[in-house]
Amino acid sequence: MITKLAWRNIWFKPLNTILSIILLTASVAIITVLVLLEKQFEEKFNSNIDGVDLVLGAQGSPLQLILSSVYQVDAPTGNINYDSAKVWMQHPFVKKAIPLAFGDNYKGFKILGTTPDYLEKYEASISQGKLFEKNFEVVVGAEIADKLKLKVGDTFFGSHGDAAEGEVHDHYDYTVVGIAATTGKVIDNLILCTIPSVWQMHDTHVEEHEGEHHDEEIHNPIHGEEGHVHEEGDEHYQHEHDPDEHNHEHGEELHSEDTSSLNGEGKEITAVLLQFRNKMGIVTWPRIIAQNTKMQAVSPAIEVNRLVSMFGIGIDALRYLAYGIMLIYGISIFIALFTTLKERKNEFALLRVNGAKRMQLLALVMIESLLLCVVGFVFGTVLGRVALMFISSSAEEDFKLSFNPYEFIWEKEGVLFLLTILVGFLAALIPAVKAYYLNISKTLTHA
Amino acid sequence: MISTKNITFSYTKEQAFILPDLHCDAGSTILITGDSGKGKTTYLHILGGLLRPKTGSILIDTTDIVALSERQNDAFRGKNIGIVFQKSHFVSALTVLENLEMASWLATGKKNSVRAKKLLEQLDIVNQSNKLPSQLSIGQQQRVSIARALMNEPKVLLADEPTSSLDDKNAEKVISLLTTLSKEYKAALIIVTHDSRIKEKFSNRITLI
Repeated sequence: MITKLAWRNIWFKPLNTILSIILLTASVAIITVLVLLEKQFEEKFNSNIDGVDLVLGAQGSPLQLILSSVYQVDAPTGNINYDSAKVWMQHPFVKKAIPLAFGDNYKGFKILGTTPDYLEKYEASISQGKLFEKNFEVVVGAEIADKLKLKVGDTFFGSHGDAAEGEVHDHYDYTVVGIAATTGKVIDNLILCTIPSVWQMHDTHVEEHEGEHHDEEIHNPIHGEEGHVHEEGDEHYQHEHDPDEHNHEHGEELHSEDTSSLNGEGKEITAVLLQFRNKMGIVTWPRIIAQNTKMQAVSPAIEVNRLVSMFGIGIDALRYLAYGIMLIYGISIFIALFTTLKERKNEFALLRVNGAKRMQLLALVMIESLLLCVVGFVFGTVLGRVALMFISSSAEEDFKLSFNPYEFIWEKEGVLFLLTILVGFLAALIPAVKAYYLNISKTLTHA
Repeated sequence: MISTKNITFSYTKEQAFILPDLHCDAGSTILITGDSGKGKTTYLHILGGLLRPKTGSILIDTTDIVALSERQNDAFRGKNIGIVFQKSHFVSALTVLENLEMASWLATGKKNSVRAKKLLEQLDIVNQSNKLPSQLSIGQQQRVSIARALMNEPKVLLADEPTSSLDDKNAEKVISLLTTLSKEYKAALIIVTHDSRIKEKFSNRITLI
């Protein structure tokens, strides 16, 4: 009954109540979003750098290199020569080296040339179909398959660069041969193919636009001839080319020391993810590589730390803002309760006349404040998640990064709930005590 | 039945009220009159247990409310004393009916809706029962106050200037309701007033000097 009365009292002054609830809702929503974002962001970031000790790539911003090659969000720093990269890839310190070649996208999703090791690194199994083997065979990440409704056997054309509006490469179409299982990592939003696919795609690209086909001629004369007549049909071209290209790839790996002839090809890749057998390399390589080559080697862990600490300032600022709003909320409840207490003195006196105990009046004021807290907290939690859903969908468009709004971090949100209750309690304390010590006779006499 | 003995009261050390003894049986009425500042309302509050007298005893049936603790006093007042104030006070967020129910809940822990409706009917305001008190006229509000005071079948019904803000017609109605209902429910009715319109109606008068 007291709770019911408290509830009715809250809604008797709807404007006051709505103001308080809006303040609390805003504050709780911001904090909820921050808590969820921070945790999921860190999880996503850290899960993606597992097993990557260094990233080898073109000189430029180290952070950009990490973002582009590990998280697939930024533009690449540039290309590096595959042959010079291979010197480092085959170094005995290195346990595993995964080359990445990026060139195209399909509807905004990156098409990444790599080796099957890449899937292995992300512990992505093939849920349907098989691994890419030949050129232009692609394995599609789980989320893309879901969003673009791609199935094994589908074909599509890629567009150049990282913009969905880029020029369409319509000489070759990619064929989906496999769909990767969901991992919750970047691979879910990638289309993977062999590195030679990327090379081959762009060799023709260059040829078409600049009339240069020396690359083709050098490493594959037949290919070159084909190139002139490629209007005849892409399929033909592809069939002819594939086995050849594949052998070539193996050749490269086998005769890696014999780099002179391969250098002449000028094949380029975008970056290499390195995992070390000897951890010394992680410390020494960045300097050695910077001094001796035109490449850079960057530790993703360090860059991510740097990034998170940069974000951290923003997150902290937002958090202080949220706590500030919560403080204002506390003050607003306090003022609302305090001013209505004056108007409601008679009401309280009356309740006492009717047999209410002092404690019941204290409880009434407290419950009013705490009800507001609970309502505001529930709204805030829901609103925060709605906001996160929007953030998630826009982050997904821009960065291929999605967040799960339905996750509950009981520990932190529990603390937030307790904090809310505490604010409500403190705000109601003085009005409640005043109600407790109300002098009925005096109040009624001076009414 | 209510009877008092040797009640004195003081707000400050200099000023002291010596209040006359009174005895009022169930179903009968006593009128307390006197000029302003003579302690009429104070007397009423003491009788209602809202103020604690310095000395003396107040016997309601067999209970001396002066000897009760604060908590017991609250509970006893809720069950046994009904008070009608000069200006009607209500819980403004609750409807008329809910206000009455609240009175019974606070005293007994149960919502006595049946009695509430019956009282509203007797007072001819049953059609207002789902309105907020602020939507009622002053005369109607005063009748709701009477209904609330009678909710728990009190042994004593105290009325503090129940007619001062009412016009002649309403004043008469309120007084007749108070007297008939207190007789019907066997409550001792004590009215504090300086309203000359009602003084003549009662023979049993105490004047504070």
